[in-house]
Amino acid sequence: MNCETCQLKELVVEPPEIREVLRSILHTILFHRALGLVRPKDVECELFDIIYVQCEDHELEKKIDEKINQFIGWVEKHPNRKSQVCISFYEVKNKHATWFGNKIERFYWEQWYINLHIVSPKPHGKSHNTKAHVVTGENAFEESNSRCAALGSSLREVLLQIINFVNEKKDHIPPLQNSEIVSFPYEISTPSSSDSSFGWHADVLKRMLQTGHPSMLS
Amino acid sequence: MATSPSHSSPESAIIEQVITEFFAKSLHIILESRSPYVSSRNYSVDQFMSSPSSSCSSSSSMPRDKWFNLALRDCPAALENFDIWRKSNLDPLVIDIVLIRRPLVPDVARPLGGCLLRNFSGNRDLALEPKSWKIVERWIVQYERHKSSSSKNHKEIRKCGTKNNGGSSCSSETAFYKKTYERYIILFRSLYVLIRLLPMYKLFRELNSSGQICPLSLSHRISSSIQPFTQEDEAKMNQFTFVPIDTPRGRLSLSVQYLRTLEDIRSEPSAPLSLQFILDYVGSPTTDPFRRLKSLPSARSSPPLVSFTRQHSWSNDHGALASVSHCPSVACSEARGIRCNPSLCLPPLTHHNDHSPPVISESQNAAVTHKNNMSFDEFWPSPFSPTSSPSSPAHLPGQRSPNALQSGSSQIDIAKACPNTASQTQAYSSEGKQQIKMDTLRCGNYRTGLTLVKHHRGFPSGKDDTEKLAELPSSSTQRPRSKSSSGLSLSDKFDDCGFACPFADYKDVTGSCNRRSPDAVIGAVVRMLTTAAPLRQGLSDLCRPSQVFMDESLNPCVQHDQDNTEQSECRASTSEILASVLLKSKTAAEGLEELRRYKEMKESILKRGASWSSDVDSGPKVCRQ
Repeated sequence: MNCETCQLKELVVEPPEIREVLRSILHTILFHRALGLVRPKDVECELFDIIYVQCEDHELEKKIDEKINQFIGWVEKHPNRKSQVCISFYEVKNKHATWFGNKIERFYWEQWYINLHIVSPKPHGKSHNTKAHVVTGENAFEESNSRCAALGSSLREVLLQIINFVNEKKDHIPPLQNSEIVSFPYEISTPSSSDSSFGWHADVLKRMLQTGHPSMLS
Repeated sequence: MATSPSHSSPESAIIEQVITEFFAKSLHIILESRSPYVSSRNYSVDQFMSSPSSSCSSSSSMPRDKWFNLALRDCPAALENFDIWRKSNLDPLVIDIVLIRRPLVPDVARPLGGCLLRNFSGNRDLALEPKSWKIVERWIVQYERHKSSSSKNHKEIRKCGTKNNGGSSCSSETAFYKKTYERYIILFRSLYVLIRLLPMYKLFRELNSSGQICPLSLSHRISSSIQPFTQEDEAKMNQFTFVPIDTPRGRLSLSVQYLRTLEDIRSEPSAPLSLQFILDYVGSPTTDPFRRLKSLPSARSSPPLVSFTRQHSWSNDHGALASVSHCPSVACSEARGIRCNPSLCLPPLTHHNDHSPPVISESQNAAVTHKNNMSFDEFWPSPFSPTSSPSSPAHLPGQRSPNALQSGSSQIDIAKACPNTASQTQAYSSEGKQQIKMDTLRCGNYRTGLTLVKHHRGFPSGKDDTEKLAELPSSSTQRPRSKSSSGLSLSDKFDDCGFACPFADYKDVTGSCNRRSPDAVIGAVVRMLTTAAPLRQGLSDLCRPSQVFMDESLNPCVQHDQDNTEQSECRASTSEILASVLLKSKTAAEGLEELRRYKEMKESILKRGASWSSDVDSGPKVCRQ
């Protein structure tokens, strides 16, 4: 089984925006993969002019929030970096019995990479352009607003990218095996504070080797 | 849904049903997020869990929720009878979302809300002028049958069978249906998310919000024919097409054309309803009565006018006495989204007597009638006053006034809005003040309050009168003051019969005072009594009882007829006792001494008289000489 991979468009975010950005993206992805009977719930972003949809499932919500907190904790220790959050869907299959015993193996069939470029909030009085000029507090406020609006627009594009991917790639999805809300097992990977950046990528590489070459999509 | 009669090779029942439900679900999802009838605000868990009794007439919504594993809110109106009016699965389902620009003139016949969608199901057309509406979204759901039966789908069915169950045709079909059904589920998930990311959804939510007054409204038109857009319109639109899903004999497709931006349509500014006005209008019994309303400017020195509307919104007790909704247009216009000018909303001036209260309990009646008296005439020029409220609270001036407690800040605020009224209420006579004071304190005359209105033409300005009220000498007058500060209602205070009687003759007493301050009277009496020397030093102690009687007799507030008679009798008896005591205390020597002094006085007088007479006698003599 092929593992379809979607690299989502990179978003430049400041730390206070991470939570809302990740929530909207992760819930949108999971809503498309929670194929059990769901009751959708509209969520209005506080920072952006966007309404996303999530399954009304407390466990799901809790798990997502835990992972986001974990990621935010990592970002606090590693500021101003590009980082990834990956959500993977897999199937669990028993591998052929060897003389070491039975082995349960995960077959990843879909991976979503959320690419974030974390930047520190800009101090007032300087613009982020190469033209370094002093701006007034009012200009800084306007700049912050326009930056937030731009991020909102980019986030909307990412959500549409998810819809497009879901719309186009359907053949790789395994048949439904249960009637649970979230039909397939999944995991959310974040760079943990103990891992180095290299270590996390190594983990991803290892997973890729396990599941075969993903077909990279735009 | 009825299948086409010209169906040469009818599909299996299950496929037919899936296709039918596909159309219905698409329509449901689209209208749910474009039609206010199924606004998310009305959604509840109970509705979801027990939706067989929902508004769907043709079929219960619970089975429809189970279709494609997506539980939606109540059925939109358009979905009712959907199965009946839809003729064939082969006809496309075209849903046009129409934005209508309404004139700002309120249309009474239009349902409340101002932004309700109307169901233009079937082939009915919008009965609107062409320029007043615009299609902002067009959703097309379509089922296309394959021309050749040996399509690639059959290959896929075989493929599914090979993959899963070794190739038996039955199991391969089942696997194919399962896979197809899974695709439907995913497509509807995408549709549900996409429809919320389109520009129209934001406008839909704005129109649904009650705080917005907007000349725009949404509607929809459902048809089975596609009317092409003009090139100009099409240039402004984007299109999103979901990847069609294959069925064994055809494929289902869903697409949307939508306006890229709604900014040009929405360029006409909406008129947000003043939340401040709502805050003032909709009060709460729990609201701090002294809280100054944020929305209206403060007016420190403004006279205490009555906050009619707010009082109404607080309490049903008094509001039921007259027109409960004195300004129905306020409430209605809020709901309809009509710009509301407070001065225009309020009804024309009418006399307060038109609002005669129904039968109520005595204490309540007393209070209410009193309120009526005090509020209407004096505020006659104010647009707020006449019909606004028989429950207007502030008839006792000043901050300590118990009823003024209830309306506090709003009185002042509204007074600011009505400067003419304010100036008029400040022009009143001192007679008016006293009359009000008298009427206010008289508990026995509440039922005749209507006749007293004339005396209240000028209403006291608050502080001054409150102070004077506080200065009343009677201990009885202090009782309501202390009660009012504890927040008891006026009627409660006057239920105290011990309070009522002493004021029965208050008018007469105050009349005799003749504009002399009661305080001054008491002060003068006290001063006189404390400074006056006793007639006889030795008897000063014995004279005190009479002084006490004098004090009380001069107190106008505690005097009444019975007391007067008792006092006069008592006073007479006391004089006799004093006289006897006085006589008993004199000794014989003192009497002789006194007699001697009188004798001396008599002699000296006689002497002087003799000398005066001799002078007179000698005078004429001289003349004669």
